[in-house]
Amino acid sequence: MNADVSDLSLVRRVQRGDKGAFDALVLKYQHKVVKLVMRYVRNPAEAEDIAQDAFIKAYRALPQFRGDSAFYTWLYRIAINTAKNAVVSRDRSPVDFDLDLQNPDESYDMQGRLKDSETPEALTLTEEIRSTVNSAIDALPEDLRTAIVLRELEGLSYEEIADAMGCPVGTVRSRIFRAREAIDRRLREVFEGGLGRAEELG
Amino acid sequence: MNEELDSQLSAMFDDELPEGECQLLARRLSRDDALKARWRRYAVIGAAVRTERGVRMDVRLETNLATRVSAAISAEPALEGNAVAENKVRAGGGLRWWQPVVGGAIAAGVAAMSVLWIRSEAPVGSDALVAQNAAPTATVISQSPAPSPSTYVVPTKVEPRTPMPAAELANYLFAHSEYSTPVTRRFPLSSLVSSESGTRAGGNESDGAVDAVPVEDVVENAKKAK
Repeated sequence: MNADVSDLSLVRRVQRGDKGAFDALVLKYQHKVVKLVMRYVRNPAEAEDIAQDAFIKAYRALPQFRGDSAFYTWLYRIAINTAKNAVVSRDRSPVDFDLDLQNPDESYDMQGRLKDSETPEALTLTEEIRSTVNSAIDALPEDLRTAIVLRELEGLSYEEIADAMGCPVGTVRSRIFRAREAIDRRLREVFEGGLGRAEELG
Repeated sequence: MNEELDSQLSAMFDDELPEGECQLLARRLSRDDALKARWRRYAVIGAAVRTERGVRMDVRLETNLATRVSAAISAEPALEGNAVAENKVRAGGGLRWWQPVVGGAIAAGVAAMSVLWIRSEAPVGSDALVAQNAAPTATVISQSPAPSPSTYVVPTKVEPRTPMPAAELANYLFAHSEYSTPVTRRFPLSSLVSSESGTRAGGNESDGAVDAVPVEDVVENAKKAK
């Protein structure tokens, strides 16, 4: 399977003037971009602002994106530059980390940083979502749980998961989909009640 | 919602959907809010699972960041004009050097085809070519050990085609010259001259053909007649 083909399909649509396709890219990568920016700034609200700037810069630069690299790699570079510039412009010293673009989630734990700035309500809701997802995963049959964990946590491709589980790729695709559906059913309940509260946070 | 569609969405989220299906689904995803909401929850599931390693998911992002970016992008001009223009310029710049090469190749091909066509139109050559191509294959296969004289092709006497009368040809040439540039006008004129001279050199004037007349005279007569 050609990697990044779904991102590229969305990117091509944006390049042809479909702004709705860019929403899908933002929804997919917003968490990763904010986590990336959090390596340079300590305030989550500031990280959100920088992430927003990064997405807007990416949108404006999309005509120059030719697909030579993966979209997320390209986006991460923009986010890093935006974060560095923001830090420099505020005369702060950026946190010095070696950034692993291929695996940016693995190298830094920002839980401690967020504890001081999160509101209690936001922390509660975050915890509620996390526990809902985890309990839904625990309730999954073994084959579904293994498939979704290998995909989401280990980042394996369907082919690699098929090799690991000794089943066809089509079966992996089906298992991951059914796992997501089961988790999503539980998550929707939290979203319908929880995100309403989140919006009240202002 | 259609289960197959959701299954495709899940595979697309993981970059595991074939390209053709991706393009169709990307189009639908950009317009279908329900599908987009599901896509968003898939992202949240992934973020929540990865939180197990100590990375916290900021719930407020779900309500704010994507919405803010979308609002900011909606105020931006659509990329259509910029992207298409730049891609066209880039593609045009890349392909521009091909144009003379392709043009030359086409011209050479047309010239080669013309030469072959003229040769195939030659009275003797055409029939001889057919005889050479057709007869030996049938006979040589059946008598391969010792070819007998019967495998040889005896060219039959071919009557040369009646050439176009000089006056008619001159009229055509004159009419052609009125619609052609001086450069292209020169080619039919020179071919006519060579044809006339070839006819004279071959000494076939007596084979029922119209007597050759100097081409200048023919053109002049045609002008007068017109």
